[in-house]
Amino acid sequence: MSNIETIRGFVVENFLFGDGEQLTDDMSFLENGIIDSTGILEVISFLEETYGISIQDDELVPENLDSINNIAVFVENKLALVPDSQERHVG
Amino acid sequence: MQFNLDVLKINCAEETKRVTQFVTEQVAKGYRRKGVVVGLSGGIDSAVMCALAVEAVGKDKVVGLILPERESNPVSSQYAVSHAKELGIEFREIDITPTVDSVASYSQRDEFIRKLIPGYTPGCKYNITLPTDLLDRASFNFYVLQVKLPDGTLEKKRLNLEEFRTITSFANIKIRSRMIHLYAEAERRNLIVAGTTNRTEFILGDFCKYGDGGTDIEALAHLYKNQIYQLADHLAVVSEIIDRAPSPDTFSLPVNDQEFFFRIPFDKLDFLLYAWEHQVPVEQTSKVLDISDEAVKRAFKDFASKNHATAHLRVPAYSLDGDVS
Repeated sequence: MSNIETIRGFVVENFLFGDGEQLTDDMSFLENGIIDSTGILEVISFLEETYGISIQDDELVPENLDSINNIAVFVENKLALVPDSQERHVG
Repeated sequence: MQFNLDVLKINCAEETKRVTQFVTEQVAKGYRRKGVVVGLSGGIDSAVMCALAVEAVGKDKVVGLILPERESNPVSSQYAVSHAKELGIEFREIDITPTVDSVASYSQRDEFIRKLIPGYTPGCKYNITLPTDLLDRASFNFYVLQVKLPDGTLEKKRLNLEEFRTITSFANIKIRSRMIHLYAEAERRNLIVAGTTNRTEFILGDFCKYGDGGTDIEALAHLYKNQIYQLADHLAVVSEIIDRAPSPDTFSLPVNDQEFFFRIPFDKLDFLLYAWEHQVPVEQTSKVLDISDEAVKRAFKDFASKNHATAHLRVPAYSLDGDVS
């Protein structure tokens, strides 16, 4: 499963009660009321646990986390920074 | 839409008359009770509400309850007492620590915080805060637990959702305990409970359902915080209360309302909220407030998100017939 599919699956399951028909990969979560400010905390925990990455405070910005596409690019960039010796948890 | 720095100015004499008429009608006709009880927090909203209640029904029909718990800032009670004496109302101070402790003990809460920050020991001061620089940069609302350790250092930990919810639930027990004490007094004395939530808090959801949102009337819910300050001057609220930074006073380590919830300085917050509510264009808002378009857009997004996320707080309960009201 690709990162985009994994992220989409999480968002649809947890915030749209399984109905992801209207959700596009570039849709803003906040502007469209898909995920609220506390829901973002759930997304952060999911990404840290699923991909074994550590997200810093200054990375908690919309350009990293406010759509499926933004998250996928952010995750790929984070994983690229993980040293080869460290195990990667990819979805 | 005319939008300028005078847009929040009110005629305090007229507004006082309007609110006091509302309070009088609610006491006499709406609820048919004998007077009003107000929880006095030592903050500006409850001070203004109490002063308006006195104007409405007279000082002999207003009771002030001062309801600290063991982590409240002691000056809050001092200021509340000072204001109650100034108004000449009956007031009592009740330590709600046993009430709070009976629902979820302080030791249970201490144990939870110690798991997050191992250096924490009972008695250490703590709070939770949000980034306060929303106008300067975009960022999500993530809470950070801050603990002042015995050696004076400040240790911080970003909270995940479960941790945030747990700490919030502990904090809300304090707020809901106050509601229980206020209603106990109100029922015994045949009074109504006057809420103190202002419009800024109401629209953005900065109140606790069945806590400070559990009341009989909300006579300030149409007034922005800025306008509460105007009324405070008009009603001669004691200067210590007017001059102190607004704070939830829920955590032992002081935190102001900007750090705890709003993320925007008070000199801009209400103007931005007014502009968002009245659909003032971004460019017009930024020009009047002398901030960037991007800052205005970030504020508007944050308002929309908070308003949406807290919609459930503003209705009594959902039912098959709609709101139960």
